[in-house]
Amino acid sequence: MISTVILKEVLHKALSTGADFAEVFVENTKENVINMIDSKIQSVNDRVISGVGIRIFKGTRCVSGSTSSMEREDLLACAAKVAGAMEGLPEGKEIVLRERIFGDIHPIILVPSTVDKGYKAELLKRGYFAAKDYHKDIVQVSANLLDVDHNILIANSEGLLTSDRQIRTRMTINAIAAKNGENQTGSCSPGRRMGLELFDEIDPRDIGEEAARQAITMINAGYIKGGKMPVAIENGFGGVIFHEACGHSLEASAVAIGQSQFAGKLGQQIASTKVTAIDDGTIPNAWGSINVDDEGNPSQRKVLIENGILKEYMIDNFNGRRMGKNGNGSCRRQSYQYAPTSRMTNTFIDNGTDNNEEIIKSIEYGLYAKKMGGGSVNPATGSFNFVVTEGYIVRNGEIKEAVRGASLIGKGSDILMDIDMVGQNLERGQGMCGSSSGSIPTDVGQPLLRVSSITVGGR
Amino acid sequence: MKYIEFKNQIIKIAEEKGLKDYELYYTESEDISAEALMHELTKFSTSKDQGACFRCIYEGKMGYASTELFTDTEALRIVENAMENAQVIESEDQVFIYDGKDTYQKIEEANTTEPSAKELVSTVLELEQRLFQKEEKVKEGSEAFAGYGLVKFALCNSKGLDLFHSYNYSQLGAMVMVEEGEEVYNGYKILTDDFKNFAIDKLAEDTAKKVVETIGSESVETGTYDLIFSSEMMATMLSTFFSSFSADAARRGLSLFKGKEGEVVASSKVTIVDDPFYESSFIKIPFDGEGVATYRKNVLEKGRLVTLLHNLTTACEAGIKSTGNGRKLGYASAVSVLPYNFLLEPGEAGTKEEIFKAVERGIYITALNGLHAGANPTTGDYSLSAEGFLVEEGEKTRPVKNFTISGNFYELLKKITLVGSDAKLNNPEGGVCFGAPTTVVEKVSVAGK
Repeated sequence: MISTVILKEVLHKALSTGADFAEVFVENTKENVINMIDSKIQSVNDRVISGVGIRIFKGTRCVSGSTSSMEREDLLACAAKVAGAMEGLPEGKEIVLRERIFGDIHPIILVPSTVDKGYKAELLKRGYFAAKDYHKDIVQVSANLLDVDHNILIANSEGLLTSDRQIRTRMTINAIAAKNGENQTGSCSPGRRMGLELFDEIDPRDIGEEAARQAITMINAGYIKGGKMPVAIENGFGGVIFHEACGHSLEASAVAIGQSQFAGKLGQQIASTKVTAIDDGTIPNAWGSINVDDEGNPSQRKVLIENGILKEYMIDNFNGRRMGKNGNGSCRRQSYQYAPTSRMTNTFIDNGTDNNEEIIKSIEYGLYAKKMGGGSVNPATGSFNFVVTEGYIVRNGEIKEAVRGASLIGKGSDILMDIDMVGQNLERGQGMCGSSSGSIPTDVGQPLLRVSSITVGGR
Repeated sequence: MKYIEFKNQIIKIAEEKGLKDYELYYTESEDISAEALMHELTKFSTSKDQGACFRCIYEGKMGYASTELFTDTEALRIVENAMENAQVIESEDQVFIYDGKDTYQKIEEANTTEPSAKELVSTVLELEQRLFQKEEKVKEGSEAFAGYGLVKFALCNSKGLDLFHSYNYSQLGAMVMVEEGEEVYNGYKILTDDFKNFAIDKLAEDTAKKVVETIGSESVETGTYDLIFSSEMMATMLSTFFSSFSADAARRGLSLFKGKEGEVVASSKVTIVDDPFYESSFIKIPFDGEGVATYRKNVLEKGRLVTLLHNLTTACEAGIKSTGNGRKLGYASAVSVLPYNFLLEPGEAGTKEEIFKAVERGIYITALNGLHAGANPTTGDYSLSAEGFLVEEGEKTRPVKNFTISGNFYELLKKITLVGSDAKLNNPEGGVCFGAPTTVVEKVSVAGK
């Protein structure tokens, strides 16, 4: 995208005021989204995101800049601006860029940009009408098909030159059921680091039906009465519990500066012995997978927590400086416009040893959270909240009526200790995770598990 | 190439392709920001980004394509892609490239002070230092940040419109952490203003005090409470549920206000206005994303729904004029419906202290978490984790947290019993500001202990 000669010039300019490290991140992303609503293709949008991010470090100080221009003069101006925020003399470092190829473990069979839009529209319609025709109370469906072809190149003053091409495809279907002046929603949105062959693995019709099934279930549900109770959280997107309650607090961006409840706790027990949690960016074709991270470090599989003991954090090179550690393939950014930082990839609680049926049977009165929505966390205090989009009351060990309006709140360090049963049906779900370096694709996951007691919001 | 050359190139290609109805929408933004932590400058960033979106009516449909790369190849690609995309569209919506002969309100272009990098850096360093001087309990990891942003946007179309506007503002904020026993408490405060108006010392003091005040907070008993939303949290509720007021959402059945114009949908205390020229706001915009002139309008008046917010397409469908709310979330996105300065108008219930007296017993809500997940504008349902203070015998007493408030936004509007006289705007988010006074909502379900 940019010649090695210019990259070197820009790196030198960036180092000209005494920074000890400089990095250039070049991006060219093609994005296509097809939207459907009211049973018709409503919009089709093509977008090219293209630009350059420059970062320099001096000790524990980081200066960054970005420009959407790819022209030499603009890049040098951006590097000069970035360098201008430091004061000092260049160390006179010689930069020799040597290309490294880490390889691609994510085969793409059907590259979306090479496929006719009419074909994509047909795939979307298949999912759309499966939702629309599911039940007479489904009054509206909105759906979109997104494909992204994200090309990145990273060069730094230590001589690294590498690139990656990340192709992702995702279909999202939202269904709305209406009855007696009320609305309820359901949604399903699987995605992969794949091309359109994704839909050989997952039939779009199943996506539509799943969204509609949830909406219909919830329109016929009553509201849950809030309070403290045991909760069984189902697999797949249920893993958002770990992502929010713990994952964000294990990111170096919080740990390095003491803004995490888990800072300084390596080797200590932070979760019940039932919990083993992993962040793995190397799963072939998984939504959150990367060959290299946005600093050019190869992706890794990291055991974060093993039988309750904290083993590792997710670390980027910059925050690693404060921690005396190297980056472990965890540095990510939405685009060149965001300064990158430590983030998750595919993060999940591993299978345990409890029998799934026993988990439900063990609950006298509580909540079975079959589908989770999103949530958020305050990493400093560990306070989190997330929403149950499809929940059921459990009475005397049996799953009973569906309930609306439940949310789960608590503190990360408490809930990790309160996970007292972990089942055996590990699955992952897809999400977009928002944080300081923007919105990035991540998988969450877990098997069915039980939290002995948690505050359930309701009315 | 520069935007002006790119624009001329686009026009040339569009004319060659025989397009009669097309538009180019352009945004450019310049930002600088700095962050101080552990008594040093830890982050500094600067950016200059631009993007352009071309759309055209081809065979009766509107196709879009956009780019950040201004080259001849890209100019040709976006025109051709937009035409190709138009052919896939099935929607029968009336689409428009605006040829109205509107008169646009004259407002000043970006006119606030642009801080130099040096000023920005010295300000955050000073602010961070002062946090520790204000309260002994302030813990390392507390931080200060400052930023300045300039946004320019331009719209030109085949009907002769050639519009330009810009605005700018600065922000200064602090995040304070305190520790007491095993518990960590934190909170932040961010101000939006002209850079020269920032009072560093006051912000340090207010932020530190705000967090120290929450020490020792515990959950509340599960039950039904009258809630006193701080002006900031009431504005946050509006920002979460504003799409209920979008005619585009309503016509899709995504808002329960569909067809409710003229009906009473809220308590008589509620008047909501959308004002593109709101005096104290830094977001003042004379034309929308379709080129329609903007104006101030009441959306709700004493509980009665006056109008939903419209763009050209939804207005045409409803047989009325656009309300000038055809805005884009980002330069590349399709025209949707968004407000400018969207406010619950001040009422007559006085200051928050006077409101505490009037309510006698309830919870004063000062923070809400997880809005993007725990609130659903389509259904109106919300179930949110909250923080605040108990109000007992008319006084703010002890701090509370770890509880949820649950209900439905459409119901909430009907349960508003008191509206304070102290309306304030929240910080702008994506070119939109929400504002509200302290507001009382009666009988809301709370789940805690």
